[in-house]
Amino acid sequence: MSSDDRRLALMLRVIAILDMPARWVGKLTAWLIVPMILALVYEVFFRYVLNEPTIWAYDITYMLYAAMFMLGAAYALQTDSHVRADFLYNMLPVRYQAGIDAFFYILFFFPALAIFTWLTWHYAADSWQELERIPTSPWMPPIYPLKSVMPATGILLLIQGVSEVLKSLYMLITNERFRSQ
Amino acid sequence: MSDPTIGFIALGMIFVGVLTGYPMAFTLLFIALVAGLAGFGEQVFYLLTYQFFGLMRNTTLAAIPLFLFMGYVLEQSGLMDRLFRALRMMLGRLNGSLYLIVLIVAVIMAAATGIVGASITVLGVMAAPIMQKCGYPTRMSAGTLAAGGTLGILIPPSIMLIVMGPVVGVPVADLFTAAIIPGLLLGGVYVAYTLFRSWLNPALGPPMTDDEVASTSMSHKLYELAVGVLPVLVIIGFTLGVIIFGIATPTDAAATGAFASFLLALGYRRLTWAKFRLCAHRTLEATAFILFLLAAANFFGAVFAKLGSAQVLTEYLASLPLGPVLMLIVMLAIVFVLGSPLEWIPIVLVVVPIFLPTVETMGFDPLWFSILVAVTLQTSWLTPPMALASYFLKGVVPNWSMGDIYIGMLQFVVLQLVVVGLLIAFPQLVLWLPAQT
Repeated sequence: MSSDDRRLALMLRVIAILDMPARWVGKLTAWLIVPMILALVYEVFFRYVLNEPTIWAYDITYMLYAAMFMLGAAYALQTDSHVRADFLYNMLPVRYQAGIDAFFYILFFFPALAIFTWLTWHYAADSWQELERIPTSPWMPPIYPLKSVMPATGILLLIQGVSEVLKSLYMLITNERFRSQ
Repeated sequence: MSDPTIGFIALGMIFVGVLTGYPMAFTLLFIALVAGLAGFGEQVFYLLTYQFFGLMRNTTLAAIPLFLFMGYVLEQSGLMDRLFRALRMMLGRLNGSLYLIVLIVAVIMAAATGIVGASITVLGVMAAPIMQKCGYPTRMSAGTLAAGGTLGILIPPSIMLIVMGPVVGVPVADLFTAAIIPGLLLGGVYVAYTLFRSWLNPALGPPMTDDEVASTSMSHKLYELAVGVLPVLVIIGFTLGVIIFGIATPTDAAATGAFASFLLALGYRRLTWAKFRLCAHRTLEATAFILFLLAAANFFGAVFAKLGSAQVLTEYLASLPLGPVLMLIVMLAIVFVLGSPLEWIPIVLVVVPIFLPTVETMGFDPLWFSILVAVTLQTSWLTPPMALASYFLKGVVPNWSMGDIYIGMLQFVVLQLVVVGLLIAFPQLVLWLPAQT
């Protein structure tokens, strides 16, 4: 094994480790669809059949939905599901694609997500400090867990971003498309 | 540099940035942040958290993962496959019958899911091999599959209409109701076109051979149709019915529809644990990329409006010496041209709000205008350069050349534009049904 090969193998190992948080959080978050459906079906039955609506179903609904799309964002980055206008991109050789990705991750992605994480961290921290509740809902649920989803999303995206840059680097070195393990 | 100018520079940068092929959600997020900082400083930070958190608390948009899950479950359950075969046994002798069958299944599928990618994939997997075997020409087949698959973006429950509702300030249920006739009209125009072409030139749609048809009995055909098709139709009809008649919110209906689809798939013994898990994962992926892009585009739209650029554009539009009809056509032409390189999400969240004041000044019904935009945006799936439909189709039918797929789809783009023209000429096609409920 040459030293180049060893370096690549190390890179792959680091990528595999960095992919873990988004994948595990994503796969867990995916199951939130089940309580979301059940809560709403329960609500529909009690509201329309028994005429006794719950006070919690709507709060639960948007909390689960928001957690799904926010916490799933890093997983979608890993599976390359975020929409690209890629009709030009697809015509380029692998190395150029990797170059474009690496360039925009460093120039756009990291600054934007760093600001997002920093802002929402304080936003959530303030909410925790006041143990803030939602005044507009009859149930008045605590809102700090939902607000904490925002910095968590930022951190997951930042970690996944590092992994994606390493993948681009791997493609630049080997000139081969990266296949996630 | 004035604030509106910053907005226009940002819009230009987004256009260039998006075209590089980098995921557009993050391009939008970054450029909106920079433009906001340059224009009105730290206030952009409040706008960012406020816009994201506002979207997170939107219970109408919560219908999106539910409808996605419903669609994936119905897709995985293989029910569409059953419907396709039943119809084929019944209609096989007609010239061009496969076009008709594909389009019927496409309309039902569109009413079940609204996920264009899933529709085209399922239709392609089912129909393309049979179409090739029966000697159907590639271009017409590809065009029919792609155009049929994109009906899902218009026919309710359409994800795009769920997003459009809050933007134009029209209840989603009204948009759903208004989209029904235009959706069926589009499907009808496709059917008429393909059958007419096959009637003129039978080589375009050779009928099934006699022994293929004779191999199944009439009672078996009817049984397949009843067991395979009716329950799906009942679920879809019920889900849409309660929304359209205003009995339940789209989110409530989506949850019950998802639950019923799940029970149905269990009942048919088609849902394994692995498939169920796949449905959950796919729902998460699609929910995440749609809504994260939505949040980013929404944030950009807010920055753009706060910079005053939107207003400048609106005033400019209003100052043009154009009559109402011409103005409408100009706006739809902009949607058409921008729709292909961009996506419907930035169009609906950034471009449509720019048009709204003009729409009001001109006295257009916002409901009618929304449906016109929705039908126009359908073309973006079939028009190169983006032509997303072609990727899904190519993915399941690799031996069709991209060139043939494009040419095949373009004739349907023309049909879509004809329908847009019809809806402009006869607004009642859109407005009649909502007035009845």
